Amino acid sequence: MLAGVLLLIFLSPLVAQDPCKDSKDGFKVRLSIKTALGNDAYEWNESEMFLFRSTVAYAMRKQTNQDTYNIENILVCNDTQRVSFVFVVTSPDNQAQLIPKAQVEQAVRQNKRRINSAFLLSDMTLEFVGIPPTLSAPITYKTQPWLIVFGVVIGGVAVGIVALLMSTASKKRRAKGKAAGLSEEDEGIVKENGTALSGLGGNHGVYNQAFSNDDRFTQL
Amino acid sequence: MEFSKSQGQASSLWFGGSTSEPVGTFSVIHQVLVGIILSIDLNVITAGLTMKLLRHQINGHIGGRQTDLLLCLSLQIELKDIIIIIIMSKEARPSWDSPMQFVLACVSYAVGLGNVWRFPYLCQMHGGGGFLIPYLLMLVLEGIPLFCMELAIGQKMRLGSIGAWTAISPYLGGLGIASVVTSMYLCLYYNVINAWSFWYLFHSFQSVLPWAECPVNANRTGYLEECEVASPTQYFFYRETLNISSSIDENGGIHMGQALCLLLAWIIVYLFIVRGVKSTGMVVYFTATFPYVVLIIYLIRGVTLHGAWNGVKYMFTPKLEQLANPQTWINAATQIFFSLGLGFGSLIAFASYNHHNNNFERQAVAVSLINSGTSVFASIVTFAIYGFKATFNYENCLERMRLLMLNTFDLSEETISVENVTEWIHHLNVSYPERFAAIASKVEDCSLEAELDTAVEGTGLAFIVYSEAIKNMPLSQFWSVLYFVMLLLLGMGSMLGNVTAIITPLGDIKLLSRTFSNETINGLVCLLCLLLGFGFTSRSGNYWFTIFNEYAATLSLLFIVFIEVVSVCYVYGLRRFEKDIEDMLGHRPNWYWKVMWAAVSPLLLFGLFIFYIINYIQGGTPTYQAWDKHLGKSVVQEYPAYGQAFIALLLVSSLSCVPLVALYVACRKKRRGTPLRKHAINTVTTSTV
Repeated sequence: MLAGVLLLIFLSPLVAQDPCKDSKDGFKVRLSIKTALGNDAYEWNESEMFLFRSTVAYAMRKQTNQDTYNIENILVCNDTQRVSFVFVVTSPDNQAQLIPKAQVEQAVRQNKRRINSAFLLSDMTLEFVGIPPTLSAPITYKTQPWLIVFGVVIGGVAVGIVALLMSTASKKRRAKGKAAGLSEEDEGIVKENGTALSGLGGNHGVYNQAFSNDDRFTQL
Repeated sequence: MEFSKSQGQASSLWFGGSTSEPVGTFSVIHQVLVGIILSIDLNVITAGLTMKLLRHQINGHIGGRQTDLLLCLSLQIELKDIIIIIIMSKEARPSWDSPMQFVLACVSYAVGLGNVWRFPYLCQMHGGGGFLIPYLLMLVLEGIPLFCMELAIGQKMRLGSIGAWTAISPYLGGLGIASVVTSMYLCLYYNVINAWSFWYLFHSFQSVLPWAECPVNANRTGYLEECEVASPTQYFFYRETLNISSSIDENGGIHMGQALCLLLAWIIVYLFIVRGVKSTGMVVYFTATFPYVVLIIYLIRGVTLHGAWNGVKYMFTPKLEQLANPQTWINAATQIFFSLGLGFGSLIAFASYNHHNNNFERQAVAVSLINSGTSVFASIVTFAIYGFKATFNYENCLERMRLLMLNTFDLSEETISVENVTEWIHHLNVSYPERFAAIASKVEDCSLEAELDTAVEGTGLAFIVYSEAIKNMPLSQFWSVLYFVMLLLLGMGSMLGNVTAIITPLGDIKLLSRTFSNETINGLVCLLCLLLGFGFTSRSGNYWFTIFNEYAATLSLLFIVFIEVVSVCYVYGLRRFEKDIEDMLGHRPNWYWKVMWAAVSPLLLFGLFIFYIINYIQGGTPTYQAWDKHLGKSVVQEYPAYGQAFIALLLVSSLSCVPLVALYVACRKKRRGTPLRKHAINTVTTSTV
């Protein structure tokens, strides 16, 4: 009986469930440091892992507004060469109890930007498998920029047309004025003989006093 | 046009000027253009009579601005009938300020969007550098001769297409009308492309090009579904630019942005043509030369891009076995034909503003060679860009595969590099078959050849493929603005010719030009085209656009130009045509021109025409590409019944003008009781004092 009790005492930690590996509340994390930073890439070691655990703890603190989360509450396993691993979050009150997946997801999503910048990575290179990245909000404009450019161009074109039509109208008016008057210096190709027939077109002749019937001056 | 008919033995030639008494009811301001078309009985011709109208030095006798003139011809022999048509114009026909303006106008018209988006595609489909052989051969056999012929007709007749063909033979007025109708159809849909270019141009003035990234969905977890399955550039074109529906049956509202851009396009076209040749002549200096500046800049940028050399090498390695394919030769012939813009009446209209002795022969050769040279030049640029885009996509594909392998097998990042991805895929497939099978669906076969093989033409090339390449260039906003300005100038330059082809014959009709001023006629034409063009901005507008693009101006043009060549050579008479050219140029056309006009070009055109008809018949129900927003790509669909009826209407409306008008003229002549066979002698001269 003593042997049985001793066996139980020694075996229990061995058969105890690993909360990290088998849990369904865990998230797989993948980092692509060389892709993101190239030559400036840092080595992934225990200290970096420490930083990661502390950022997740920070995220949990912010999300639950409880200052009780600590590094010990973040358990990590399945560490690979890829730099990918699985982590779970335990409750600060009870080490055996795990925080549900949805809550962890919400915490990570809210603080993703801070977590990214801690590692100099982006949403593409620091992946939480199963947590879609929150894309940046699209830029909204009060007036669409294309309308502004459109307005400028169509304004310029309208001014051009109005100017053209006005110049045509004024040219016509000038041409009419010329036809009414008898300007000899016309640009027409037709050359005139300079005969008196140039007066045919107009209705103002040259007043020839010799033929006038006006006898104002010769009152007898 | 006034008709005065006198019957009888002889009429006397008299000048209504000796008593300075106005004889007619016309008043002339600057110059009188008198044309007399005589319809003379065959007997008279055999008497060896040719008449030419004397220049009216009578101006000197009468003097003054009010020169009223009436000319009849005195004939010593029996005339059965004389029909005198006196064409008078209020002012001298406007003309180009210099021959250079005319050449630039023709270059601007001929060098259009087709040089940029159709020729590179044909080059790629038909064996790269080897395609140049049939292309240049067709240029020599049909391109240059037909171009020269249209310029000669325009310069000789000094009228738009309707007047010119009526002058050649009264039965052929329908040819001019068919040209005007086809030009009308072209104007309607061509300016929609300019509207798209404006849309893209205005949207380039943003910090991030809108077609560079997909828009995010409502809860910001991912991108819009349609954009995910397609690509951001396709999404921007089909959804945001066109808001296209999924078939031609589904109509929708008008896209306001498109409608505004179309309005702007038509206002600018009006601004360019409002004064006729005077305004057009100023504009073509810019629209003809600036695209070349942009092409050179793009060439320099293009060949310095990473991977551009792959594309250029791919294009220029000739695959000479394609020359055995008859489709290659047919495509070369049609490309030359449509690229030069023959048959629309634009060339006749442009040439009608020339001086009588302008050397159009040399200009025709020059413009045709410039047009073909631009095609080749533009395709070098296009293939540099293709090469860049294909290399970019290929390298992205390799990167994606690398990540997939790293993530699945949890290997360190340094193990697989972009160069040895393919070897690693093979190695992992062999070593871990079960794990590999799990992700087998995601594994893509990355191939540079396959990327280069994706041949695109038309609006897809210009607006999707090019914008995709541009968004990956550094400083993409600048390149985008430059590119769309070039597209705009090419399109606007061609629009100038298209609209001139309509307004020149309209301006020649005396009834219209007496009631309305030139500016009003031009404005009305532009307004009508704008209102009808709004139909292309609706949600299914792109499908109607495709109908017009494929059917409105293809078969009818072949028919029109074929009738043109045949009528000039055989109805008008090649000998008479030669004499006219000698009159204009000072020398007769040599044997090359005569052989091409009389034999080779008509045969080629007839062959093409027959081929097109056979193609239509054999092709079964006409189909179109409809955009499926769930699949993110275009699917083939058949046209509904009313769509096919509309296609038939388009074809019939322009083809039938020729026989209908000929029939009408014949009936009218019969009703007037005139004898049957007539020969028309054209003695149109201009009087420039």
